[in-house]
Amino acid sequence: MLKTYAGSWDAITWIIAFITIAIVVYIIRSFGRKDYRKGEAQKAFFSGEDVLSPEEMHVRASNIYWGFVEAMKGYYAWMRKIHNGIINDYIAWFVGVAAIMFIVFFIQEVIK
Amino acid sequence: MNGEFILKLVLECILLPFFAIFFGLLLKGIDRKLVARMQARVGPPIRQPFLDVIKLFSKENIVPEHAVKWIYNAMPLVCLASSIMVLFYIPLGFPPLLAGHGDLVLVLYILIIPSLAMIAGGFASSSPFATVGAQREMVTMISYELPLSIVIMSIAFYLPGSNSFSLDFISSHPLWNSVGVLGFAGLILLLMSLIIVTPGELAKVPFDVAEAETEIAEGVMVEYSGRNLALFYMADGVKIFAFASLIVAIFFPYSISPLLNLTGLYADIANFLFFILKVVIVMIFSVSIIRAAVARYRITSVVTGYWVTVAMMALIGLLLLMWDMHYHVRWS
Repeated sequence: MLKTYAGSWDAITWIIAFITIAIVVYIIRSFGRKDYRKGEAQKAFFSGEDVLSPEEMHVRASNIYWGFVEAMKGYYAWMRKIHNGIINDYIAWFVGVAAIMFIVFFIQEVIK
Repeated sequence: MNGEFILKLVLECILLPFFAIFFGLLLKGIDRKLVARMQARVGPPIRQPFLDVIKLFSKENIVPEHAVKWIYNAMPLVCLASSIMVLFYIPLGFPPLLAGHGDLVLVLYILIIPSLAMIAGGFASSSPFATVGAQREMVTMISYELPLSIVIMSIAFYLPGSNSFSLDFISSHPLWNSVGVLGFAGLILLLMSLIIVTPGELAKVPFDVAEAETEIAEGVMVEYSGRNLALFYMADGVKIFAFASLIVAIFFPYSISPLLNLTGLYADIANFLFFILKVVIVMIFSVSIIRAAVARYRITSVVTGYWVTVAMMALIGLLLLMWDMHYHVRWS
């Protein structure tokens, strides 16, 4: 068992419980009807339109997070702008952030 | 871990699914009836979800021709089993069945599994609508995880000593009793954040963008039918029960037996019934009223709503709790 100061996790117990519950759920599932019509009924629903074959349908990684990137496009545009590939700019950011951190920690120590 | 413990665990694993499914479907029935009444409709009878499951079991279980069959069939099972697993770590009017074997962080991880199962099932369907639904489900999940994590961390951060992530510990140390003025305001904000996270976690209106019947014809569920759909349907009910129980365990862990001077078995029964009542009330405020009153958001509004508005609200709640610890402004 993994035990830390704040909590715990027993992986073995979790696995035993999950497998047993999965078996119970599988038995419940087996009470349902197994058979189904082959052919026309198996075609994916697409509002009456023909669905492309799986080889022609590709979901790109950029599509998966589309909603997130679209909602945060202001942030992403800003991030892209500052990632300009010029090493001098990256060093300037590094020095700037280090200076801010130094000032913050310095003020904290002075207040103490 | 000894033989007696394993035997007890296996027995609980056999009984808990029936208990969880029963109460899950009952909550779904109450929710549907209440929402119908709020919208001036008669609504279905409370037993309707049970009848739905029976009907689904008698329907064909169609597998789409291009589906990845084993993932398509396995994911409803994983979704229901993982939803039931959450209940092992949450106090249900009595200490958690697996108290000391897992904490709140584990509950957070297990809560992700049903959503991941829906996403995998959607992609495995090989349907355009299901693919869009799975993408939306993933984005919704990323969105609500941030405020949810802030709320959980805030609670554990405030509680003193070790085991602060243990749900047994959290429910035996009600936060409302120990906070001052600032902490009380902070807890209100955290509770509100968790209530807004609930419809997202349970894929209910206004955050049901992944299913959106009128736009993408149930999204991830579009190709599911028969017994596979019945498992997802039951998992939905169990998730409502589990998440409402989690809110009760964190924010309203009070028992009624001391108030009624009950002891022994009567106290356990009274506490359990009181717990179910609290779960129903939490469900009404976090699911029923919201879905009766609000229309569905766009996916971009879901992201900005959770990442900006709700996350900010939760962060302010965390700040207030921190200030409460430092400044100790008491009520009197």
